[in-house]
Amino acid sequence: MSEYLLEMRGITKEFNQVKAIENIDLKVRPGECVGLCGENGAGKSTLMKVLSAVYPYGTWEGSILWEGKELKAHSIVETEAAGIVIIHQELMMVPHLSVAENIFLGDELTNGFGFIDYDLMNAKATQLMNRLKMPDINVALPVLSYGGGKQQLIEIAKALNKNAKLLILDEPTSALTGTETETLLDLIKEFKSHGMACVYISHKLDEVAAIADTVTIIRDGHHIGTQPMAELDTNRIITMMVGREMKNLFPREEHEVGEVVFEAKNISVWDTTNPDRKLVDDVSFQLRAGEILGVAGLVGAGRTELACKLFGYWPGDHEGKIFLDGKEIHVKNPADAVRQGICMVPEDRKRHGIIPLMPVGYNITMSVLGRYAHNQLIDAESELAAIQHEILRMKIKTASPLLPIASLSGGNQQKAVVGKMLLPDPRVLIMDEPTRGVDVGAKYEIYKLIFELAKQGVAILMISSELPEVLGVADRVLVISEGKLTGDFPNVGLSQETVLAAAIGKPETAAA
Amino acid sequence: MTLTKKDLRRLLSEYKIVVLIFVIAIIWAFFGTLTWDSDTGWSQFLTARNFSNLLRQMAITGMLASGMLFIIVAAEIDLSVGSLAGLLGGIAAVLDVWWGWPLYGTVAAVVVLGVGIGLMVGWIVAYVGIPSFIVTLGGQLAFRGAVLGITAGITIAPASAQLKFIGQGYLPGGIGDAMAVALFVLLAFLAFRSRAGRIKHNLPVSSMSMEIGKLAVIGAVIVGFVLTLNSYQGVPVPVLILLVILGIFTIVGDSTVFGRRIYAVGSNLEATRLSGVDVNMVKMLIWGLMGLMCAFAGLTTTARLAAGTPSAGFGSELDAIASCFIGGASMRGGIGTVIGALVGAVIMASLDNGMSMLGIDTFWQQITKGIILVLAVWLDIVSSGNQR
Repeated sequence: MSEYLLEMRGITKEFNQVKAIENIDLKVRPGECVGLCGENGAGKSTLMKVLSAVYPYGTWEGSILWEGKELKAHSIVETEAAGIVIIHQELMMVPHLSVAENIFLGDELTNGFGFIDYDLMNAKATQLMNRLKMPDINVALPVLSYGGGKQQLIEIAKALNKNAKLLILDEPTSALTGTETETLLDLIKEFKSHGMACVYISHKLDEVAAIADTVTIIRDGHHIGTQPMAELDTNRIITMMVGREMKNLFPREEHEVGEVVFEAKNISVWDTTNPDRKLVDDVSFQLRAGEILGVAGLVGAGRTELACKLFGYWPGDHEGKIFLDGKEIHVKNPADAVRQGICMVPEDRKRHGIIPLMPVGYNITMSVLGRYAHNQLIDAESELAAIQHEILRMKIKTASPLLPIASLSGGNQQKAVVGKMLLPDPRVLIMDEPTRGVDVGAKYEIYKLIFELAKQGVAILMISSELPEVLGVADRVLVISEGKLTGDFPNVGLSQETVLAAAIGKPETAAA
Repeated sequence: MTLTKKDLRRLLSEYKIVVLIFVIAIIWAFFGTLTWDSDTGWSQFLTARNFSNLLRQMAITGMLASGMLFIIVAAEIDLSVGSLAGLLGGIAAVLDVWWGWPLYGTVAAVVVLGVGIGLMVGWIVAYVGIPSFIVTLGGQLAFRGAVLGITAGITIAPASAQLKFIGQGYLPGGIGDAMAVALFVLLAFLAFRSRAGRIKHNLPVSSMSMEIGKLAVIGAVIVGFVLTLNSYQGVPVPVLILLVILGIFTIVGDSTVFGRRIYAVGSNLEATRLSGVDVNMVKMLIWGLMGLMCAFAGLTTTARLAAGTPSAGFGSELDAIASCFIGGASMRGGIGTVIGALVGAVIMASLDNGMSMLGIDTFWQQITKGIILVLAVWLDIVSSGNQR
């Protein structure tokens, strides 16, 4: 038998005669973790879809050797049977089914009469949870009663149950907190010691550095290199990914911080499904013109809910006052907010950001379409002129402004969504995780834009789960923990530890 | 082989409308052959008279389908339009026959009522938040009940001559010709203006000869259309109304703020809301338009039958919905054109008309229409590559 568990050789996949990936090799030994790095749109997901037979054998060129034999799978069922299990970036779970039901979804355990044997299933699921060091999870409860981090681990339990020999993790930590990420990484290390191999795809290079034995880097669909992690560092990986030296991740520019433009007073927000639960608890803050205010906190701390409330989008109970230029304003819905100069770039780009069937250009002008119309009739020429101006300003890479936005890479979609929210000329711009799932190059451009806007006097509220980003960009940092404001620090010599301590809810230990 | 399949798929998705017209041609050729009359040496199906009849038959479904299209594009559904058209037609009959109102009064009252009821349904869907399937299922029952109540379950006849003109009248030939010329000039003007705009912004344009070729085909279709109808009795009034609706709705869908928002709402409601668009208002207005179309359909039905009947419009919501889907609208919203929906309505009407002419039993007609609907949507799924 060969030394490798998996050998992908010369994989090429075309879409409409355009090569998405070309001649890519990927080799994984048993018990090895291979980090797969590349910018958005580099072809990582395409490669993994070839491997897991989402694109069946015959629709691509090249060959896959699995345990020394050629694998010609036609569906994901066959690859899973072989032991290749992929865990997608978006979790694939049925929220209202129990943890155990989700784990065994598709191969439910039955008794002799064909009925589901819940006792056996729950017992086995509990065993799996113990293996994952999560004994406190009640496998009979619906999945939705657990947060994103736990759900990710449940997803892994599902993979373990399928006797995975190769686990493919696609951005597994994008919704996880710091401690949850550590738990996940520890688990993967343990699996490795038992001989399980994995392919780890992530933009978070420190995680790749911590866990990968070998790193394969692809760029624009081409194989750039495969090296042992021991010979690499994150800077080197970034350079190989973008094909140029990235000296400074945060292109800080000096900008004046002016008068207070926006003030939120005693904001409280309650859960929609459980109206007794407070998600945001009496938060007040001020925001100045040209100020970049970072909002840090753990996932689920209530930051997104706060943003939704300020933008008039929270469906549940809420209270608190909002002032713009010292005058109280009422924001009943997003249309109200945009009209009064408050714009928001939402966290979930796919669900809340893009209008997928529409061209990039029409997405960009969605908020201010009335500007280019007389008596409802759109003046196509002035609209196109505005679109092209915006595409240039945002450096959106698209073959045509009339291409559907869904066909662009994540980074370019995000730039278009930001562009859409800039056209109304906001006084206050709320950005919720503006660089989530965005590649290094697009990140850099978004940061540059944020500084540029601050220079023009826009007040920016930037929610981010990435501490280096908050510390690299913000002028001042708010920290929210379990719905409460636990920190308000000027970003002068501020350390990650201080912010993290406040985010966990123990500001007094931060003094050291 | 895979390459040709891919090419075929691209062809189907890019020129959906051409494919649909091709389907119509096949259906017409089929019925044309089967209804061949050796005495006259001509087919009974392919006569100017039958063509005129067919168009008049599809006009009412077409009006409902035009309104339904926007509702389906917005990822909603309306099951109540048949009943609402029936109710509005019944009211028209009551006003015209029993109360002796003049035509303009009847039309104004029915239109105001139609738009009002439509807005009310839209308000319940958009602002109260009850799913449109439920609201309009309730509407279907309630409006049908109201028709029975208003007409007391009997046929109200005879309609006045003015009202009958809406459903049975014809335009004199000269006016038809003039309108055809005006339409062609307008289309040519718009085509060249949009071409100039695209060139100015460095967008890809088709070659000049292609553009002229396209216009020549459109011109030929218009000339053929008007000449055929004029050789019988002229353009039927309901068909003219439908063509005007087609023109206006196409403009609304393609180049108004409201139209753009309908497609956006259907493609991603939440993202559209978060862009600062008042999506509830958009939805309510769509139902206002649907109510207007129900008023037109109701008036035309009563005028065509020269009477108000309690069962008028029964089941026509399903014809309208089927027309939209045959014409390429997507179940999930965000995709669809008015012209497509109307071509879908022509396909349905052709099947009805042809099979009736052949004396095929009604039950076979229904089975065939059902199969055609499923086939058409299958074709659409294959061509868009959404097959799993």
